[in-house]
Amino acid sequence: MTLSLLLLCLLAALIELDTTYAFQFLISRPIIAGPIFGALLGDVAAGVQVGVFAELLFTDISPLGGIIPPSGVVACVIPLALYSLGIELYFGFFLGVVGAVLYSFFDALLRKTRFRWLIFLEKRIGKKPTDIKRIIAVALFSSFLMTFIFISILTWCCARLMFVVYPYIPAKMHFAFRLAYTAVPWIGLAALIPALRLKTR
Amino acid sequence: MPFWLRLNMFFRSFFLQAGWNYVKYQNLGFALVMMPFLRRLYRHDPEVMPDVLHRYLEAFNTHPVMASFCFGAMAKKEEIIARTKALTEYKEQVAEWNGARRGLSITAASIGDRLFWGTLKPLTLLLAISIWILLGVNFFETEPLLPVSTWSAFAAGAAAFLVYNTIALFVRWQGLQIGYESDESSCFGLTRFDWNRTIYNAKKIGICFAVLLILLGVHRYFMDVRVDIEFIARAVLVLFFVIISFVTRRLRIPNVYLYLTAVIIFNIVCFF
Repeated sequence: MTLSLLLLCLLAALIELDTTYAFQFLISRPIIAGPIFGALLGDVAAGVQVGVFAELLFTDISPLGGIIPPSGVVACVIPLALYSLGIELYFGFFLGVVGAVLYSFFDALLRKTRFRWLIFLEKRIGKKPTDIKRIIAVALFSSFLMTFIFISILTWCCARLMFVVYPYIPAKMHFAFRLAYTAVPWIGLAALIPALRLKTR
Repeated sequence: MPFWLRLNMFFRSFFLQAGWNYVKYQNLGFALVMMPFLRRLYRHDPEVMPDVLHRYLEAFNTHPVMASFCFGAMAKKEEIIARTKALTEYKEQVAEWNGARRGLSITAASIGDRLFWGTLKPLTLLLAISIWILLGVNFFETEPLLPVSTWSAFAAGAAAFLVYNTIALFVRWQGLQIGYESDESSCFGLTRFDWNRTIYNAKKIGICFAVLLILLGVHRYFMDVRVDIEFIARAVLVLFFVIISFVTRRLRIPNVYLYLTAVIIFNIVCFF
């Protein structure tokens, strides 16, 4: 994995914090994160396309209650990283979407693990209330670190997989992946319009 | 509420979900936000802080932007608890505080989810897509990718970012003060805004954007089109997915799984 891709994963992990853990300015939404990653990798057009496609695809899942939607950042960073290595966007996007779904399970696991520490943390805050700032900082840093490790490993695995498999992929498979990829904006738009349906005031 | 205290709580509110967990949800973040206020309120009586914090570390879950109403309201309620003299009165006030915390967090979450996730996010997405199309960015064309200027690429995202955050930051900042100044009669300031009307109007704007987007899309699609077998195949594919998407929505199957299934089915079809 090159240094530029490692730095990209670092930035992706930082931006991913914005999804839930800090700020929530929605910089992490694909229409913003996609062009940023695209510009860094030297192809803004690819960034815009992947960003719009990912956002449209995930538009019907909201973070209500304990639901963790697939990560828009992961869905953008993997296809763009692979694209910079010469892999077509339609393959990368598929792997990115799978990675984004996997990340939501990984995040759920992180949240469950954090609960195991909670009793200990509450006792500590009870004894020394000022420790809460440090505890939040540690929680944020651990989330960032785990996300960085997850994204880096996933990007590396996807890149390795594609380098091994790519020469053997038949033209039919290219066509099938491309066809599904072109359908993404229409699937998303069809879900977006009912989401805005007017209910009685 | 003094300005600097409000500012401190406002900045801390961005970390409300930092310690999110499946049992007590945002409790660590809630305690973090309320800490400056509690320290100021109990500065002459710091030994009660562990007991007070214990209440703030109970389960708490709401929408991160609308949470500011809860912070303001809980601060006001805490002041009343701090003024109590008798034990029975204290217990009554604590019970009231607990009820208000639970009730208000649920109401605020319901409004926030509908306003921010259900309306504002799709609306700003439509806004961004419309801007991109107006700027001539054609992201529907998958091969070859058409060149996009950096300015065009970021303009739409920046517009979506600004619209969403202007509203979110306004609600965060005002919610703190309104929640603090209001009482139960106005649901701690939540009834000061006509949320349903706001959501309704925002959705109306969203529908306008959607219609504009479809018209622009159709115009571009048909502009220099040649009706051949490829065009018909693409049109059938689009129609098929639009219909299937409506069906899966009714069955509550997320679009992600529809896409992943499409990839598998297309591969199988292409092989045979």
